[in-house]
Amino acid sequence: MIPARRVKLFSNWFAMYMRYRMRKAFNRLVVANKVVIKPGHSILLLCNHFGWWDGFLANYLAYWHLFRKSYVMMQEDHLKKRMLLNLFGGFSINRSSREMVKSLQYAAGLLNNPENLVVVFPQGELISNHTNEIKVEKGIERLIKNIKGPCQIVYNCALIDYFESLKPSVFFHLFDCGIAGEVPFDELVEKINTCHQQALKAQIDVEH
Amino acid sequence: MIYPQKNKLITWFFHNYILRIVKADFHAVKFNAVEVERGKSVLLLANHFSWWDGFLMYYINHKVFKKRFHVMVIEETVKEVSFFKYMGAFSVSKSSREMLASLDYAAQLLNDPENLVLIFPQGKLYSNFVDEVDFQKGLSKIMQQAAGKFLTIMAATFIENLQYRKPTANVYLKVEGDLSDVQAAYQQHYDNAKQQQTKIVI
Repeated sequence: MIPARRVKLFSNWFAMYMRYRMRKAFNRLVVANKVVIKPGHSILLLCNHFGWWDGFLANYLAYWHLFRKSYVMMQEDHLKKRMLLNLFGGFSINRSSREMVKSLQYAAGLLNNPENLVVVFPQGELISNHTNEIKVEKGIERLIKNIKGPCQIVYNCALIDYFESLKPSVFFHLFDCGIAGEVPFDELVEKINTCHQQALKAQIDVEH
Repeated sequence: MIYPQKNKLITWFFHNYILRIVKADFHAVKFNAVEVERGKSVLLLANHFSWWDGFLMYYINHKVFKKRFHVMVIEETVKEVSFFKYMGAFSVSKSSREMLASLDYAAQLLNDPENLVLIFPQGKLYSNFVDEVDFQKGLSKIMQQAAGKFLTIMAATFIENLQYRKPTANVYLKVEGDLSDVQAAYQQHYDNAKQQQTKIVI
C-alpha cells in the first residue's frame, strides 16, 4: 500500500485551487443539511461515489465545513496514475490483495488523531447518482473496529442538480451516524441507507 | 400571447450556438433511437429540471426527428430571453383566457406533419431526483383537438457524472401509443427510465 505523504502547505494550496475550480465548474456548492461536529473527535466521512468530482468535493467539505486535515482513500491503480494527490493526503487501497487489511489499519490509525478526517467511499465503485441504495463494503466494519481514539462517523450524500442555471449545483446532505465503536455495523449500514433516502426526499424540496 | 417569429440570421446563429454549448458542456448526450412515422407531427413530453432540457431536446430534434421545432414556454421567460421566440418558442401564461389561446395554437401546430411541439407538462422546474411527475392541466385539451394527427413521444432525462469531469445526459425516449391516461403512461416510462439509470455501475 502507499501511505499518504501529506504536506500541509501543498495541501492547502491544492484545496484552494480546487475550490476555485469547483466554483468555476458549479453554480453553487450548498450544504443543505448541516451536522454538529463533536469537538475532540476525528471524523470518518463516508460519501456516495458518483463521479469524477467527489474526492475533491469531500476535500472541500473537510476544509471549509468540517475543519479537519483530510486524507482520502483511493484505489491503488488510480493513485499510481496521479501520485501528486499523494502529497495532498491520498493513500491507497487494493481490494484484491492482502494489503487491503494494512490500508484499513492505516486509515484507522489516522483516525486516532482528533485533528484528522478520512474520506472513504463505502460503495467501492462508481454508481449512479440516482441510486436509492448505498451498499457498504465489509472492509468498513474492520476499519471502524480498529479505531482507538474517539471518532465521529458522518455520511455525506452529494447530489447534482441544475434548476435555473446552465451550470450544475452540488447539494451536500450531511448526517451524523454516531461514534465509532458505539454503533454495530448492521445498524450503521441501515442508518446510512435511511439517511440516503432522506436526502433524496429533501432534495425535491431544496431551496433554489 | 407571444408567437414564434422568423428571422433566418438569428435562427442560424442560435442554432449553431445551442449545438455548440451542448457539445462543449456535456461529455455526451445519450439517447435511444426511436422510429418516427413520416406524415405525422410530434408531441414531445419531457421532464423539466434545468435550463438545459429545452436545449437538449432541440439537439435531439436536430439529430433524430428533424422537424420544425416549437416549444411552449412561460411568458416571463420568453420576454426575458429574447432569442427564444426565434427558435420556435411560444408563450403560455397562467391566466385562463391567455392559456386557452396557447393551447389552441399548440394544437394548430400539431396539424402540420412538419412540426414538433415540445411541452414540459410539469409547468415549472423540479429537481432531477423527483419520483413523481405531476402534470399541469391543459395537455389533454391539446391532445383532443389534434387527435390522430400527431405522435406522442416521451422523454425522461437524467444527468450523470461518473468517471468524466463533464456530465453526461441520458435521455430515454419512447413512442407512446396509449393516450387514455398520459400522466400514468409518462409516470411508467419515467419509472422504467429511472430504474435503468440507477443500475449504472462502473
